[in-house]
This record gives sequence, C-alpha cells and structure tokens, in this order.
Amino acid sequence: MRFLGISFVSFLLTALVVANAYYQKKQFYPSVVYITKSNPSMAVIYIQAFIGVWIMGKLMRKIFFGQLRSTEFEHLMERSWYAITETCLAFTVFRDDFTPKFVALFTLLLFLKSFHWLAEDRVDYMERSPVISWLFHIRVLSLLLLLGALDMHFIAHAYQSTVTKGASVQLVFGFEYAVLITVVINIGIKYALHSVDLNSETPWDNKAVFLLYTELVMGLIKVILYVAFVAIMVRIYTLPLFAFRPMYYTIRNFKKAFSDVILSRRAIHNMNTLYPDATPEELAAADNVCIICREEMVTASKKLPCNHIFHTSCLRSWFQRQQTCPTCRLNILRTPAPPTNNNIPGAQVPPQNAAQNQFLNMFAAAGRPNPFHLFNQPPAAGVNAAPRQPPNAAGAQPQAPEQPQPAGTAQPGQGPNNHVPPNFMPPFGFPTFPFPMPFMAPPPMPPANLTTLSEEELRNLEGNERQHIEARIQCLRNIQTLLDASVQMMQQYSVAASIATASTNRPPQSEANLANNSTTSPNSANPRPSTSATETTANSQNDMNGAGVSNSEDEAAKVATSSKSSLMVAEERDSGETGVPSTSNGNSTLSPEEVIRRRRLQRFLQQEQEQH
Amino acid sequence: MAGSALRRLMAEYKQLTLNPPEGIIAGPKNEENFFEWEALIIGPEGTCFEGGVFPAKLTFPPDYPLSPPKMQFTCDMFHPNIYSDGRVCISILHAPGDDPMGYESSAERWSPVQSVEKILLSVVSMLAEPNDESGANVDAAKMWRENREEFSRIAENLVRKTLGIPQLLG
Repeated sequence: MRFLGISFVSFLLTALVVANAYYQKKQFYPSVVYITKSNPSMAVIYIQAFIGVWIMGKLMRKIFFGQLRSTEFEHLMERSWYAITETCLAFTVFRDDFTPKFVALFTLLLFLKSFHWLAEDRVDYMERSPVISWLFHIRVLSLLLLLGALDMHFIAHAYQSTVTKGASVQLVFGFEYAVLITVVINIGIKYALHSVDLNSETPWDNKAVFLLYTELVMGLIKVILYVAFVAIMVRIYTLPLFAFRPMYYTIRNFKKAFSDVILSRRAIHNMNTLYPDATPEELAAADNVCIICREEMVTASKKLPCNHIFHTSCLRSWFQRQQTCPTCRLNILRTPAPPTNNNIPGAQVPPQNAAQNQFLNMFAAAGRPNPFHLFNQPPAAGVNAAPRQPPNAAGAQPQAPEQPQPAGTAQPGQGPNNHVPPNFMPPFGFPTFPFPMPFMAPPPMPPANLTTLSEEELRNLEGNERQHIEARIQCLRNIQTLLDASVQMMQQYSVAASIATASTNRPPQSEANLANNSTTSPNSANPRPSTSATETTANSQNDMNGAGVSNSEDEAAKVATSSKSSLMVAEERDSGETGVPSTSNGNSTLSPEEVIRRRRLQRFLQQEQEQH
Repeated sequence: MAGSALRRLMAEYKQLTLNPPEGIIAGPKNEENFFEWEALIIGPEGTCFEGGVFPAKLTFPPDYPLSPPKMQFTCDMFHPNIYSDGRVCISILHAPGDDPMGYESSAERWSPVQSVEKILLSVVSMLAEPNDESGANVDAAKMWRENREEFSRIAENLVRKTLGIPQLLG
C-alpha cells in the first residue's frame, strides 16, 4: 500500500517535471536539454528510475517466485543491506568514473544478485516442501536460464570492454558476474539432484554426497575467482575493501565444505571397514525402524559395535557431525569392532547369575570336606528359591533362562567343580559396591551369546526408559536379597563350624578352605560373609579378609555386630533346643545340622515375606 | 521422494496425531511448510503451572533430525529455564558441542533418537521441576529458590492469562 503511494507520487512528480519542461520549451529536444540541466528535475527522474526498477523487480518476482516466504524475504533483506554497503564502498574506488551509467550498472548488478539469492533459497526449499508443482519447475528452470544468459552476456561485455579499452570498472562487473554464474551453475546442479530425488520412488542415499562434492568444487572455483580478483585489483587500483566480506565468507564456506567432505569420507570408510552390514535376519528380528529417519530398514543398513542398526545413509550423515552411536552415544571410533564369538563367557555372565555362581562356588568349595556334605544341601535349596523371587529380573534380563548354568542343576555337594566354569572370573560389574548404594552398580553386562537373543530382547536390554531402570534396580535388590541369604548361611555355617570344632578337628581346615576361596575372588564385595567368617574364626584369616572389610568399615562393623548377636542367639537356641550341642563324633553332628537347616529355611522364608 | 527431514517430520506428525501424548498438542502451522510447528502444552497437574495452556512454536532446521529444533513459547512465561523472550533452554535442545550454560554433559544433548514428542514431554517435566542450576531466567531461578510463594503466584497469573481469566492481585 505504502509502495503504491510512493510510486504514485513519483509518477505524479515525473509527469509534472516533464509537463513543465514541455510547457516552457514547447519542443522535444529543448525540453530534454532543460530537464538534464536542471538538478531538481534530474532528482525526480532518478527517483522515478529507481521506482521503475523496483516495479520491475516486483513484476519479475511475481512471475518467477509468486509469493515470497517470510524466511526468503528476511534473507533477501539481510543480504541486500550488505550488498548495498559494499556497492557504496566500491564507488569510492571508482569515484573517477562515477557517472549515471555506472550507477545504473551497479543497480542492475544488485537487481540480478537478489534474484540469484532468491533462486538459491527456492531450490533449497525443494527438499523441504511436500508439494512441488509443475509451475515450480517451469519457474525455476526459466529463471535459471534467464539469469545464466544475462550473466554470460555481461561477462562477455566486460571481457570485450577490458580487452579493447583497458582495465576499468568493467573488471569489477566481469568478476561479479563470473561469481554469479558459478552460483547459477551451483543452483542448477542442486535443482537437478533434487528433481531426480523427487521423481524416484525410493530415497536416493547418495544425493547428500553429490551435494557435498558440488559444494566443494563450486567453493573452490569461487575462492580462485576472488583471489584472482583481489590480486588484479591490488595491482591496477587499490585494495578492494568491498570484496573482502564476500571473499571471507566464500573461503569459510569452502573450508566447511572441505572438512565436511573429509568427515564424510572418514565416516564412510569407517562404516565400510569396521561395521558389518545388518543381515536380513537381524533386520527381521527387531522392529526394523531406523531411529534416525523413522523409516523401515529393508536394505543398506549397518550394525554398530553396540548392536544398534541404522540406515547406512542416515548413519553417514550423522557421523559427519559426531562419531557416536545415536542411541547409546557409544563412541564408535574408540570401540573396536564387535567380537565375532564369545571369548570371555565367564566375564559376561549377567550379574544375578554371577551372584549365584559365586554363591555356589563359595559353598561348593566349603563343601569339599565330608562332614559338611549334608550341610551343603540347603544352599542349593536356597539358591533354587532365589529365582522364584525375582520375576522382574527375569523379565528385564530375558537371557537368564538361557544361561547354561541354571542354579537348579548345580548340586554343590556332589560335584563342586562341575558347575563352576573352569575359567571363572570375578564377574565385573557386580562387586565392589557398598550395600547401601546399589544404584552405583553399573548396569548388567550383556550375556555371552548375543546371537541367541532376538533383536527385541536386545533392545529391552539396553533401554533407558523408566521401566528398564526399575527392572535394573529390582535386579540389584534381588542380588542384595541373595547376598543377605548368603550372610545368613554363613552365620549358620559358622555356628556349625564352632560345633564341629568342638566335636572333630577337621572343620577348621575346611574353614581355611572357605577363607581361601573367598579371597580367590578379591573383587567380591561381599563384606558380610567375610566379616562373619572373621568374627567367628578370628584368627590368621583376619588379614586376608581385611580387604573386603575395609571396603566400608561402618557397614562392616554394623554387620559384624549384627552377625555376632544373631550368632549368639543361634547358639543359645542351639543349646536350648537340641540340648546336647556337642557330644562326640560325626553321627551326632547330624541332628544340630538338621536343626540349623530348618531354622535357616525358616529365616529365609521370613526374609522373603519381609521383602514382599 | 521428498527430503529425509521432511519425511521424518511427516512421520512424527502422523505419530503425534495417531497417539497424542497427554497434555500435548503439536503440528505444523500449515501443511505446506512442515518446518514450522505450533504446540500447545498443558501445565502439569500438581504444579504451579497446572491448568495453563501454553502455546509455543517449534522451528526445525533443514538438516533435522541431525540438528535440534528450536522451541519458543509464544505466551508470557516466567520460569528458570525459559528466557524472557520465550526460548526454551533444555539440554536435549542443544546440539553436542554448543553449551550455553557450560554444565551439560554430552549424554543429555540432542541426538536423532529424540523427537518432537520427547522434547515436549521434557518441557512438561521442566515446567514441573525447574532446574535452577541453568538460569536462562536468573530472576525466576532466584525466586524459585528463595521465594516459592511469589513464584507460584506469578505462575498462577500466567496460567490465568493463557486461559483468559482475570489476574490475581497482590
């Protein structure tokens, strides 16, 4: 509306000036001379010319672009201001040839530049628009052809002028239009790539790579053009200040394109060499949606060391920015390729199984001496009871049932070594947490044999949503329960040991065995059993168990007192119920053991009730 | 095929329309441009923002989901993690590498796993539990720490404003 008003006033003024001149001079030629001689008249004519260019611009915009989007308009405005200030700077260099023709040429240059910018924005928009009509294609193509033709014409003109008349302002124009023609070529290539992609049924993965290389080559040409221009200008005129800002941005863009290409190449190289393609089975096993683009993965997918699967092209563009797994942020460059087979099965046993193993291991070792054969039956029962308790843990750790050593099959008394893996290692991840803070324990380790798991189970394993964390905490609680049970058993065991010490001289040896055993796995942050052992035996094993105790001294002290008191209670009851705690030989130890076993079971049940 | 960013935004829009999460409405401003979204967030229950309907706009970059979108409330907001011009400052909206507050670990930054839904849910939980360590609005952070009643009163007034109810005085 405002523009209409301004142009109307301008037209009116022009008409007045022309009418006035014609009224005074009556003839065409004298009136033209009159207008050119009179400064106010010339001002009005200049304004009119400017308005004319503006109207022309609006018209062209209507034809080639229709309605401008707000971002396009903002872009245009921002760039225009820079371009205008730079033009003014250029005027200072060429103030000797400052003529109306010169101003007109610069205005034309700005005018054409703005259309190049708009065309660039429009073509970039292609990738983001859901609907691309035929009109769009016709507009872009005709605009590109027109701009290209104009640029070529002006380059040719500038060349002719420079060759025939020597260096002049035409040098600047020739160079500016040369840069513009690279822009046109760049837009044209982008347009072609986008059109091919739009018309294909499937996503074109390599488009991004082509775009990258286009950007790189065009950036290089532009940088060469700018450097050549600045060199020539410095030799002939002076330092072309007005070219510095665009030159700086061009060099920066080129540098960015260059590093993009390098990063992209590195990412592609990494993916091709380090990570295997996801097999169709793996894709079929999980819900095969690529988390980056949220589309189904049918082919061309990669599996990272963390077993997350993505589209190759999605991963490539992500790796250009960051070398981490999008899902779990595993740094893929620091992680070696995934192991092809299970090399350390012992270490990868999940915690609750590890806990059971250790549990069994301990008692199995303790069970070697014969007198404790019967005594060792209950632990198996206790362990069998444990899986009943943590149904949640089993849900969260679907691999648990598939483990080769389920607790039930282990018969500690019969073959202690059978169920202990020969290369049993202290399970990492499980030990060394002080009991009051089970949250500090790292999440469960994956099972050894990942191939037996479906993709969904794996996904469940690694999830970090609320339910998974809850399941993990539950699992840790279950471990705690198991450990508490083991403490109880240790107490019973020490009672039995003290009884046995009274009756026979073999048990101390077995205790030494036990102590040795618990120190063979130094990581076992199982302070309770070891402290109770220390309490009861209170001899040379003290220092050996010291490491375990020193983990958390308060805790240890607490446990020690509690175990002491319960020990006393146990002994009291022992003497009260059985009457004859220690008579003589092996036969008589049977009944206290039986009593202890029952009591232990009772306590265990009680504990379970408390848990619920 | 359209660009991957567009396809992903369409997929997310479809998902949000089919299974809208509670208290959140979001979608493109118009079907021509999927890179500008509007969202309405309902203040979480049991907080001082309860009952409010807060409009916001989401602006997606051309390389979404590799770069995070920007989110800005278009109504008045007074919250420790919202700039006074409405821009939301939460860690998942920051690309790894830029850290305006200098305290976030890269583990809680933007990654393509995030989505509009997750962002909006994070904003809902941010409304419920402001993080006064990152003071996008220092005044609000200070008030949240020291004068919770006043904070609640201002929040209440904001809620009333979004609902067009007369303001509380005092």
